[in-house]
Amino acid sequence: MNTPTVRPSRELAPLLIALLVAILLLFIGGAAQVVILALLLAYILDPVATALEARGMSRTLATLLIILGLIGLLVALGFFLVPTIVEQMQGLQSGSTSAQAAAAIRDIERSLKDNLSFLGLEDFDLLGRIDEFKKSIGERFFAYLLSDSLGLIISIVTIPFLTFFFLKDGREMKKALVSMVPNRYFEFTLDLLYKMDSQLGNYLRGQFIDALIFAAMAIVALWILGVNYFVFLGIFAGMANLIPYVGPIAGVIPAVAVAVLGSGDLGSALPVVVSFLVLKLIDDFVVVPYVVASSVEMHPVIVLIAIMVGGELFGILGMLLAVPVTGFFKVVLKEGIATYRKYRFT
Amino acid sequence: MTDFRSRVFGYRRKQKQDEALMAVLTKIPVFEGFSERELAALERVLHRREYLPEELIIRQDEPGLGMYIIQSGQAVVTTGRDKVQLSQLSDGDFFGELSLLDETPRSATVVAKTHCLILGFFQSDLFGLIERDPRFGVKIVIRLAKIMGDRLRHANQQVLALSDKVQELLHKKPA
Repeated sequence: MNTPTVRPSRELAPLLIALLVAILLLFIGGAAQVVILALLLAYILDPVATALEARGMSRTLATLLIILGLIGLLVALGFFLVPTIVEQMQGLQSGSTSAQAAAAIRDIERSLKDNLSFLGLEDFDLLGRIDEFKKSIGERFFAYLLSDSLGLIISIVTIPFLTFFFLKDGREMKKALVSMVPNRYFEFTLDLLYKMDSQLGNYLRGQFIDALIFAAMAIVALWILGVNYFVFLGIFAGMANLIPYVGPIAGVIPAVAVAVLGSGDLGSALPVVVSFLVLKLIDDFVVVPYVVASSVEMHPVIVLIAIMVGGELFGILGMLLAVPVTGFFKVVLKEGIATYRKYRFT
Repeated sequence: MTDFRSRVFGYRRKQKQDEALMAVLTKIPVFEGFSERELAALERVLHRREYLPEELIIRQDEPGLGMYIIQSGQAVVTTGRDKVQLSQLSDGDFFGELSLLDETPRSATVVAKTHCLILGFFQSDLFGLIERDPRFGVKIVIRLAKIMGDRLRHANQQVLALSDKVQELLHKKPA
């Protein structure tokens, strides 16, 4: 029986390329992140513009409508969500732990001190540490908003502006790029771009829609369970869900922590964990098969390394973009080799 | 002043180029009878390529992704390792149109004989047109199907004629 052999070099190549590009982007700085986000948005929204064109609208009008719709949606979300998020973050920053929770934490603290005295935990203040951590999350959130407010405003203005042009003129830009390719490699490039587009496009759009659906489901579930800061936690869970393997776990931990600290009862963690398990099952068996048409299969180790590198270089945004970017290079390499073999380049 | 002049002349040059391009496109059976609006939509997706004399345009057995139209210049069609010349192509001639529907390997090699200005129309461009303007896209597909049908009919007639000839030879009594 022939067993397929996996060449480590082939498995690792996309990761290495993604790593090199990530280092390059790190030198270019924040501008690259804005351009990548605008490109991703334009890519995700392209089928909407095409569908409007198919209904007889010009590309410019279709793009304008989409961008206006997007800005309208963001403004509406801003009106409804931003006050809630700010209020919830302020609550998280200033809110001290409830009496019941404090008692539960003191119990855990006592048990730790009794059983693990050899570790030198006599002065260990778990409750103080938790309160400090909660305050630091809020402080960091507001410090980020204040320190980087200019950059944030520039990004908020630049991203829709760039998205508009990428969406409107993307086809011409692609054509102009292809026109620079030498004649001998022109058909090969065109073929490669088409295959990449059909494989990656569905994957990225599917992931984006899946994150939105998961966030909405998590917000509703946490609201029903009466967990504080449900909007913030739901959005976080939706975004975390974009990251394979570690994302779903990372998404549930803050929700569990908030539920336990809010009620002071360790038992309140169970409904949150169960509801997230149910949401994950719904996501995997109902949502994903419908919205994520094609998947870019990658080895779990590659995914984990990519996430760590992305997180190290660009923080949370880097972790979110790590998998699609590595997937992009995997498809480029896989399709590139397969297509290259069909041509007899000399 | 120079800027104004270059802009005006640049515009005229572009207009002249477009007119020449439209004149070529209307002669291609696949696009025959298309409206100006449809031809303009088609022109936007076409790839303009320039080839130097002796430069390879397509190679036999490599994947065929679409059709090429010679806007100006001459090219030679050859087959096999010995490069047996099958035909010569010039302004307004086209090749590879069936690759728009079926990604089969190229059946011959085409090399530029003189400096050539060539237009490329590929499967991905056709699929894009079908998505954006389904009516127009289907019009092109139907035209391609008609061309295929005509060729199949012609091939059938040739097969029939050949089979008649074979029958005739088989029934011919040796002298």
